[in-house]
Amino acid sequence: MKHTSTILAAAFAGALSMTSLAMAQETVITHDQGETTITGVPSKVLVSDWAAFDNLTALGVPVAGVPGSNAPAYLADDVAADALKIGSLQEPDFEGIAAAEADLYIVASRSRTAYPTASEILPTLDMSVDNAALIAGVEEKLTQYGEIFGKQAEAAELIANLDAKVAEVKAAAEGKGSALVLVTNAGNVGVYGPESRVSWIHNEIGIPSAMDNVEDGDHGGDTVSFEFILEANPEWLFVVDRDAGVGAGGNEAAAALLDNELVNQTTAAKEGHIVYLDAQPAYITMHGYSGLMLLLDQVLAGLNA
Amino acid sequence: MRLLAGAIVLTIILAIASLFVGVSDVSLGALLSTSAEDRPMQVLLISRIPRTLAIILAGSSMAIAGLVMQVVVRNRFVEPSTAGTTESASLGFLVATIFVPGWPLMGKMLIAAGFALAGTALFLRILRAVPLRDVMLVPLVGIMLGGIIGAVTTFFAYRMELLATLLAWNMGDFSGILRGRYELLWIGLGCGVLAYIAADRFTVAGMGKDFTTNLGLNYQRVMVMGLVIVSLVSAVVLVTAGSIPFLGLIVPNLVSLMVGDNMRRTVPWVAVMGAGFVLACDILGRVVRAPYEIPISVVVGVIGSMIFLYLLLRTRRHAA
Repeated sequence: MKHTSTILAAAFAGALSMTSLAMAQETVITHDQGETTITGVPSKVLVSDWAAFDNLTALGVPVAGVPGSNAPAYLADDVAADALKIGSLQEPDFEGIAAAEADLYIVASRSRTAYPTASEILPTLDMSVDNAALIAGVEEKLTQYGEIFGKQAEAAELIANLDAKVAEVKAAAEGKGSALVLVTNAGNVGVYGPESRVSWIHNEIGIPSAMDNVEDGDHGGDTVSFEFILEANPEWLFVVDRDAGVGAGGNEAAAALLDNELVNQTTAAKEGHIVYLDAQPAYITMHGYSGLMLLLDQVLAGLNA
Repeated sequence: MRLLAGAIVLTIILAIASLFVGVSDVSLGALLSTSAEDRPMQVLLISRIPRTLAIILAGSSMAIAGLVMQVVVRNRFVEPSTAGTTESASLGFLVATIFVPGWPLMGKMLIAAGFALAGTALFLRILRAVPLRDVMLVPLVGIMLGGIIGAVTTFFAYRMELLATLLAWNMGDFSGILRGRYELLWIGLGCGVLAYIAADRFTVAGMGKDFTTNLGLNYQRVMVMGLVIVSLVSAVVLVTAGSIPFLGLIVPNLVSLMVGDNMRRTVPWVAVMGAGFVLACDILGRVVRAPYEIPISVVVGVIGSMIFLYLLLRTRRHAA
């Protein structure tokens, strides 16, 4: 009895794979929340994550649906004029998603909790990237997108570009001393550590942290006083102005906040080594290829200035 | 009197302790052995003294604002954060940030104070229209009003993508205080002094409109003065440090338990205990996770809510 059922199962599985071969190629993508089988090359793609949008755009894949808000300025021109607006980052509009009859839906980071619901509606991927291994994570996502959309060559090229840029920044950072990555938010200062969204500055570029054992929360960094910055006395300060990251605007608020008698005594301030990072890629699309390249260029420009 | 002197001494000890807690090494020895140009003295002058002063000013003026409000509304359970005042100030600050972002902090604070005034006046107007038999109804009405104003604020902050900024203001925190960044709080001290000078009038006004008028006082004028004090203090503290929950509630209540309800007697007590309580909480917040800090609103929230619960349960027992 057991024997026959095995044979039957094998025959069934064989029949299945034959039919699917006849129809279209199947790709199985393994991700944080399971495995998703994608049949053929998806043509209508929805995303609830700007980094995913960034990566797809970099690969030349058109995106049919995007979040209705928080589009980073550097990506705004790439959003198709007729793109569907499918809710906010935190709360995707499931009815709109169901009605769109899309082939693929991508969630990540802020929208990842939408996965269980969305995956019942249409093939869904969770393309979240682990901050602790950020660059490797972005490259893994690019490879997966390459497989899904038949853009392996483009993906390989982007990955090579990214590796080259990381190597260049790494070389520029060699022997330049330690740094702190700060996040400013309405008059408060937090420090970002190795688990954070800008961890790569320490982990991948190899700029040592000016303070051992920086622990931090996920969003605002750990609250610190200006005395902390004075005592850590970093040679470099990389600053993310969070107000600018969620709204519009430059880094005047952060610059005004840090221009004070204590911070001005640090080596970083004396040497003019305060580098303001574009807040939108640093805060919203740090897992996207173009956003990451933009930040790497800013770090490079800062180090070489 | 001797007890009050003791409380003052204790607060001074806390203030001195506050001067010596922090990331940098500032000790008496370091201060004496180095010259004025050196780091310990610099840190003391630029960071520690301003922070300690800011805590004392904010703590005492916020507690006095709570006391004034309780007397004016004739309810033990109101304070700026349970009467919509803090939320209104926050809305005003948001409006200023959106429409006149380039204004100096003083100007934005005045707008916030104006909104706080309007919000508090609205609260009093609603109270007049609602028959209030239960003492708990008054703060409930205030909390609901605050909830509505807060929802409006959150909506606009969300649309303008200022949600994170709003969150950061409402989080009371002294970590950003430096020389040149806390001086607005002296206005709070001015309000506290004013409350002390006018203490007898408030006490009389607290006994009702007819009683006040019979004694030849202008009831309306006393009420307006009370509202201005409360609104100004709330706005100044909000823009410099953020909101500090429960403070205006628990300190006056504890003082009332200890020395009674005569406002001329209680104002000094409330000022000293408000300052001492916030000093203790801030020192705790700086020590627990050093070199990082826990925001004052979290520490005060945790300790304050416990004391608040104690006060509530205690009242219940007395009433029963």
